[in-house]
Amino acid sequence: MPGDDGLLAVRAAEGDEDAFETLVRRHAPGLLRLAASVLGSPAEAEDAVQDAFVSAWRRLPEFRGQSAFGTWMHRIVVNRCLNMLRSRRPVTDLDSVPEPEAPDHAVSPARAAESHAAAVALGRSLSELSPEQRVCWVLRELEGQSYETIAETVGISPEAARGRVFRARRCLTEAMTAWR
Amino acid sequence: MAMNTGAELPGPGTGPGGAHDGDDERLGCGRLLSAVWDAREDGADDLHLRDCPHCSAAVRQLDLLGDAVRAAGGGREPSWDAGALTERVMDVVRLELRPGPPLPLGEREEDLWVREAMAARALRAAAETVPGVRAGSCRIRPAESGAGPSRGPVRVRLEVVVPLTAGLRDLAEEVRRRVRGAADEALGLPVDHVDVHITDVTDPAGAEPGRAGAEEGTRP
Repeated sequence: MPGDDGLLAVRAAEGDEDAFETLVRRHAPGLLRLAASVLGSPAEAEDAVQDAFVSAWRRLPEFRGQSAFGTWMHRIVVNRCLNMLRSRRPVTDLDSVPEPEAPDHAVSPARAAESHAAAVALGRSLSELSPEQRVCWVLRELEGQSYETIAETVGISPEAARGRVFRARRCLTEAMTAWR
Repeated sequence: MAMNTGAELPGPGTGPGGAHDGDDERLGCGRLLSAVWDAREDGADDLHLRDCPHCSAAVRQLDLLGDAVRAAGGGREPSWDAGALTERVMDVVRLELRPGPPLPLGEREEDLWVREAMAARALRAAAETVPGVRAGSCRIRPAESGAGPSRGPVRVRLEVVVPLTAGLRDLAEEVRRRVRGAADEALGLPVDHVDVHITDVTDPAGAEPGRAGAEEGTRP
């Protein structure tokens, strides 16, 4: 019942850890998916989301419900991911870049191989984007968010969000064209 | 947020090319690549996009990227087991409890105390024994204001979400009665006053929160 997020957040802010646990259980899968898309690594995604929830617990007394709890968590996770991407060493060895897993339900071996190759090419191209481009692109392309929502989450103007997604797409289409 | 500025120059929407600036490309037909992709994304019904070789090539590039994203499953796990993560988060949270101020239990001369968060847990649970009622904020403070922990009776302010019924006032009264009963009997917390605030009502059929601020009851 996502409709009672606000109620649970109020209770959690007043020290009710059971209410917080319900919120964590409810929002963790979506946030993990988002963080894994941005970071390209399930292990790092778990770290990011865990840190984000602990930080949320500490900040909950100041959370006055101006936005929905889910939106607020999205913002904390995105900022955590941005910081993690920024603190990464510059990538010199492309083979060290984590690659997304290929889906195991592809229809045929040939199709699976091609899917895997495309996924690898995409994963490598993604790692060449700036952290800001990458975050905006994931929110737009994979999370299906509007430019206004992305702008709010990342703390930039909608036009800047649109610009970052465009630049990300340019980099990615060029890389994918080269791959093909 | 200052952390997001300065990473990419120039600033958003300042140059003649708008947000896309120098990264944009003017296609052979004179259209900007960014405009063509925007039109594609918005699903614009533009005959030129289909007929123009420059534009259709640009659109095809974007579509190929979309195919690759879908083929990679978006680079995402199909589903996540958040159980282990939840456990780890809650291990940290339980070490950092926010118990709130101490409240007196029993008679004035006794030295028994309960933390607000613990008492609130019991009072919310009592309120939720009324069918359909969900308890939110529960603040418990000494009825007499003064410095330091007081051993006098307390004042409870409880917010509830209730099902939409004809008898909201009776429902609020029932919540108040059960909260007072739990405080007196189960906890031994002397209560001066219970304010019940109905912050939202749910449609019993849809079970989704409806309009806020339906009614407030503040009788003792």
